[in-house]
Amino acid sequence: MTETKSTALSSSRWSIKKIYPGDLISIAPLVTFRIFFGLLLFGSILRFWLRGWIDSVYVKPPFHFTYMGFEWVQPMGNTGMHLLFVLLAVSSLFIMLGLFYRASAIFFFLAFTYVELLDVTTYLNHYYFISLVCFIMIWLPANRSYSLDVLMRPHSKRSLVPSWTVNILRFQMGIVYFFAGLAKLNTDWMVNAIPMRIWLPAKTHLPIVGPLMYESWVAYLFSWFGAFYDLFIVFFLLNGKTRPVAYLFVIIFHVATAIFFPAIGVFPYVMIVSSLIFFSPRAHERMLSFLPFYKSQNGSLNSSVFTFAKPKVLGVCIAIFVVIQLLLPIRFLAYPGHLFWHEEGYRFSWRVMLMEKSGNTFFKIKDKATGKVSEINNAEFLTPLQEKMMSTQPDLILKYAHMLAAHYKQHDMEDPGVYAEIYVALNGERSRLFIDSTIDLAAQPLSWGHYNWVLPYKDKR
Amino acid sequence: MKKNALLSIASVALVTVVFFACKKSPSTTVTNPETGFDKKAMLTQYADGLIIPAYAEMQGKIAALKTASDAFVASPSEGTQATVKAAFTEAYLQYERIVAFQFGPAETALLDIYLNYSGGLDYSFSTAGQLTGFSVDTATIENNIASGSYDLTAMSRNTLYSQGFPALNYLYCSSGAVSRFSANAANRAKYINDVVQRMKTLVDGVAAKWTTYRTDFAANTQTSSGSPIAAIVNQMAYQLDMMKGPRIGWPFGKQSNGIVFAEKCEGYYAGISRALAIENITALKKLYTDNGSGKGISDYLVSLKKETLNADVLAQFDATLAKLQQVPDPLHTAFAAQPATVDAAYKEIQKLLTLLKTDVASATAVQITFTDNDGD
Repeated sequence: MTETKSTALSSSRWSIKKIYPGDLISIAPLVTFRIFFGLLLFGSILRFWLRGWIDSVYVKPPFHFTYMGFEWVQPMGNTGMHLLFVLLAVSSLFIMLGLFYRASAIFFFLAFTYVELLDVTTYLNHYYFISLVCFIMIWLPANRSYSLDVLMRPHSKRSLVPSWTVNILRFQMGIVYFFAGLAKLNTDWMVNAIPMRIWLPAKTHLPIVGPLMYESWVAYLFSWFGAFYDLFIVFFLLNGKTRPVAYLFVIIFHVATAIFFPAIGVFPYVMIVSSLIFFSPRAHERMLSFLPFYKSQNGSLNSSVFTFAKPKVLGVCIAIFVVIQLLLPIRFLAYPGHLFWHEEGYRFSWRVMLMEKSGNTFFKIKDKATGKVSEINNAEFLTPLQEKMMSTQPDLILKYAHMLAAHYKQHDMEDPGVYAEIYVALNGERSRLFIDSTIDLAAQPLSWGHYNWVLPYKDKR
Repeated sequence: MKKNALLSIASVALVTVVFFACKKSPSTTVTNPETGFDKKAMLTQYADGLIIPAYAEMQGKIAALKTASDAFVASPSEGTQATVKAAFTEAYLQYERIVAFQFGPAETALLDIYLNYSGGLDYSFSTAGQLTGFSVDTATIENNIASGSYDLTAMSRNTLYSQGFPALNYLYCSSGAVSRFSANAANRAKYINDVVQRMKTLVDGVAAKWTTYRTDFAANTQTSSGSPIAAIVNQMAYQLDMMKGPRIGWPFGKQSNGIVFAEKCEGYYAGISRALAIENITALKKLYTDNGSGKGISDYLVSLKKETLNADVLAQFDATLAKLQQVPDPLHTAFAAQPATVDAAYKEIQKLLTLLKTDVASATAVQITFTDNDGD
């Protein structure tokens, strides 16, 4: 990848745009995005550390639910994990400052993704989003203006960038919102206002609006507004006329979700910050002008352009990325059965706060040689969080069963069979048997295919 | 563009105001008797009608136990032993009525850990010879008595297994409880006194703290992790996990392919395991209904239109109690002699656990987890 420096194209951006139609814009959106997103990463890493989660999630648990194909990804112990988080914090600050930007972005992406791959039970959509954005940021010239890299190497400064560098971030935001909206278009959410009708009565402690939380029309309002917001907010953000009001809604919506559902963590702030990317380059320049030492690019006679050396390779790569992003969330269509029940194709699909599901499991280990049966105490092997997540997700149930079989093989049981009686309650319905309790889970292979041992879902509402 | 900037500033200001308005002013009462459910009234009733009186009762039983204990150690005989056994049983049964209140002051004071250590749910139980479940560390107890030097506040499994109800159970009720006074009687008396006094201090401390804690307790109507409502629902699930585990299931051999660990039963020497289990479930039912006051979790479920679920939970409590009552006393003998009756009770316990852990928790939007974490 190389850059060329073009000079004296014009005295204003708008005429440059005429020369390179729709192709070049000010670097300002990338710079503000780099600064805000870097800060956000730093805050998230710090928060994770301060809550003691490095220890409770990655150091203490003896067993981790790995992703299929990533079984080799294992934690690095107490010192190693804490050191990694120190480096994550440092590299997030470097991203913000634009210092050793490319190296920091590569490191942050790899290290953060490594951490996320350690345990499926910690999967959160916004962590996946952070991984994706960090991957994109590796390829963006976000450090080519108002950065320490430019301070050290002034000749690397650029004021114009190809518009795809900003549009790819907008695309990623659009994917998150639109698929989150599509996911809400199901009977439970739209017709029955569930899970809102379950969750909102737990929020009556809120001042002013508290008493309303028992009203079912409020649950419908929340459900319908949420679906409408997710489906259409991107289009209102893209349109310059509606953008300011749309961003107001972004703030209101996400602050509201933060107040109503504090358990969603940093997600609202991720979205509030990331949505800034929809503002015009001029708005971003105005934002940057409030910062110290910032010199406006407007009216500069020496506008320098950042270009990529191999546009064809780049185009293909972007196309592949876009297609993957479009296909992953709809892969659930390839599986039979009710998505919320089977959760085949549920992750990596922007299904956020979509259902109320809980389960209770009774695992048994059977020595097939002697026929002796013992019950398993889950708390002996899993943390409360791991047990909670495992109880309702078939692939994790299978992973756990395999782990138990391996454990007992090590402890002098030649041929262990693992059986489980599992009850799951979905979206306010009564709990019922989740999987075939006569199936030896140890003999069932992990697979991308449909798990036949999960009992079919029957709507009893 | 100026308009846009103004709009942005106005929006940020508005959101800030809304945000802080929502953060502060927790004292606002939110009740709507027509359509809603008064959670503050529910929690107030829990505190004043159930929890605080139960702690007062516990103080009384411990005081009575101390009197009987003093008489026993002053002149150990079968007569004084019978009296202290009765007082001990009374106090232990009362403890089952407060054991599910492991939040607020009791949680801070580690009351359950010091009074009735169960080894922890995450500890491998089925190891013969190891201190697990409701074991008693008789070796450490006798060493402590012999040496006369010990620190009951130390955080080690040996220390925890040599005090509280399990230790007293051994010291009052085991065979030879009286005859062991023939040697080192002064040290034995002192040890018993120290154990009882420590239990009394802990219970008095927790009871005293509730007089101030009750206001915070009743005012916090959230359901997030650590809130009173979440704590009550979580405790019901936890206590049933304990029943399935160290109280009945594990000593019964559920985890060990039928190998029974009789001496790891709760209240083994006194032979009151079954009575303790029945009292525990009875107290849980009272916790669920808030002692039938009309202001309990059960009534909250009814207000959420979960009448069927509520009826099923109440019926399952009764079914569990009925099956437990069919197990012949003492429980640890029934494990081997009448396993079918224990198994029948065990199955009902599992059903009740599932109802509370999944259906009730889901309906009340409470997370069953003992740690806080993000989720989406």
